[in-house]
Amino acid sequence: MYKMLAASALAMAASGAFAQEIAQSGSDWFTDGQARLEAELAKQPNTNRAKNVILFVADGQGVTSNYMIRLWTGQQEGGLGDDYVQPQEAFPNLALVKTYNINAQTPDSAPTAGAMNTGVKQRFNLINLGENAIHDDCSTEAANELTLFSELMTEAGKSVGAVTSARLTHATPAAVYAKTANRNWEDSVPEGCDGSRDIATQMIDAMTAGTLDIALGGGARYFVPEGTETPNGGKGHRPDGVNLIEQAKAAGIQYASNREELDALSMDAPILGMWTDSHASYEADRPESEPSLADSTRKAIEYLSQNENGFYLEIEAGRVDHANHAGNAKRAMIDGKMFADAIALADELTDDEDTLIIVTADHEHSIVINGYCGRGTPIDGICFDVAQEGIEHSGEPVLGADGKPYTVVSYANGVGSVLTEQEDGSFAAPEGRPDVSQEEAQDLDYIQQALIPASSESHSGVDVPLYAKGPWSHLFDGTIEQNVIFHVMNHAVTAE
Amino acid sequence: MRPDRRAFLTAALAAPVLLRPALAADARVRLRDLYDKDGSFSDLAGQLEGSRISVTGFMAPPLKAESRFFVLTKMPMAVCPFCETEAEWPDDILAVYTKRIVDVVPFNVNIDARGVLELGSYKDPETGFLSMIRLGDASYG
Repeated sequence: MYKMLAASALAMAASGAFAQEIAQSGSDWFTDGQARLEAELAKQPNTNRAKNVILFVADGQGVTSNYMIRLWTGQQEGGLGDDYVQPQEAFPNLALVKTYNINAQTPDSAPTAGAMNTGVKQRFNLINLGENAIHDDCSTEAANELTLFSELMTEAGKSVGAVTSARLTHATPAAVYAKTANRNWEDSVPEGCDGSRDIATQMIDAMTAGTLDIALGGGARYFVPEGTETPNGGKGHRPDGVNLIEQAKAAGIQYASNREELDALSMDAPILGMWTDSHASYEADRPESEPSLADSTRKAIEYLSQNENGFYLEIEAGRVDHANHAGNAKRAMIDGKMFADAIALADELTDDEDTLIIVTADHEHSIVINGYCGRGTPIDGICFDVAQEGIEHSGEPVLGADGKPYTVVSYANGVGSVLTEQEDGSFAAPEGRPDVSQEEAQDLDYIQQALIPASSESHSGVDVPLYAKGPWSHLFDGTIEQNVIFHVMNHAVTAE
Repeated sequence: MRPDRRAFLTAALAAPVLLRPALAADARVRLRDLYDKDGSFSDLAGQLEGSRISVTGFMAPPLKAESRFFVLTKMPMAVCPFCETEAEWPDDILAVYTKRIVDVVPFNVNIDARGVLELGSYKDPETGFLSMIRLGDASYG
């Protein structure tokens, strides 16, 4: 009987009308479900050739982190949070992405970004080298260098950009332009590696060669020699004495170290902007003089859009990852909101007819969402109980078996471990799990409780979501390997 | 539990000059409130200079054993191999010069450091650590 009903409902749905009145037909949930069905039925694949490709990567924002940020943003806007729709979540196409590296169940950001930029999985801690390259062994670089999507796009006459809230030499942006046996060789390579170039040098070489046209983020110290002041007033870090910023300027590349300088640049020469000496600020701590991720996104799109052949732009929210590593969920939420703002802006500044926009992450974290919380429970606070009546939570904290409340968000490992080092070197919680008040939990600097003690919370191998719109975005479907992203991007820009 | 932290701060912000004598024993400050977002010292830091205050934070692993000096950080000094290529200090830290030899507290255990707020450049003679803001004559726990 049930099967017959379901079959008949499907048949009617396929014809575009749900004529049958059933008990729940008047419910908003039911009519919303019908509206979504209609939208799905009306979907048409976009098979235009993509002129532009924008790849958004929120470092460390897998399914769980994304859920947390959705609720945070929705609650900041006055809602319950869980029904909020982030800009990327309104995109028509979705896939789940498997993020493991060739030799790592738990991935790091270098080979994951490399997989997106080359079409092949890579090895842990390496960027854009083939499967026979060995970590930290520069002698394996030359024979294993891969061709980059940015290089293909340059060949096709397109412009290329990299935007990040981390250092421009950090793994995710580096994967746009660099090939290295060690992601940490940001401003030097080991002795004897004469054929290798550090990542900052590779970036300036790419800008000089014209395979990278705009780069905005942080990390100036790796472009300035030791003993020399950076444009941000800090200390240079390059041991080789080379001033890459001066070199870039001499090659005709415009430089900005803050918002005012960025705004003053012309639009007729390549642009390099670095607001900080290391990573750019967390959004929660960002001074007004520093462009936000959305500000940088706007500048990059405006600059790159001048090329009538189109562009490839990778935009990274690099510090969702860092806040998760620190066990400080609040800053991850706030940076995740800025990521969404940048996505909304990019969508507004481009046309679905000719621009493929992909929004994904490189990997997830060992982040945990506890239950059972009632609706509207602040995602940055303690878990409040489900109410017997109405919709919102009861206002009563849910208690653990130890009689203490707990936060909605926690981590499986990290500095927030409830086990702390004792005088004898052992790890224990002599007074049990720490108590936590709502005020403490919602503080910007609060570190969520964790289980396993560790100096830094870890990534996890859990799938990440991928949202897409624009030409050929319907090819993102099902559960895919991370390297497939490159193949869809490449198909979209070459399709006849 | 720190039920009164925000209340104290609000009071301190509201009437710093009037409250200054009364702060002597009680003023509890969050480390981040001593700095502005551009990295300069906040007005509150200027107002509290010379006062005995209590700052909540975490003890970074000491630079030297048997020392009377440690660095207070607003969050535990997580060493994240994928964030930094080398250990480095955050921008907003507080040097703490203690009355007694430092009894090391694990880096991820929340403490309150109490001492007299000092502003201005000072190079630690033992470690060479240059601080711009400190607590002197401090205790913690």
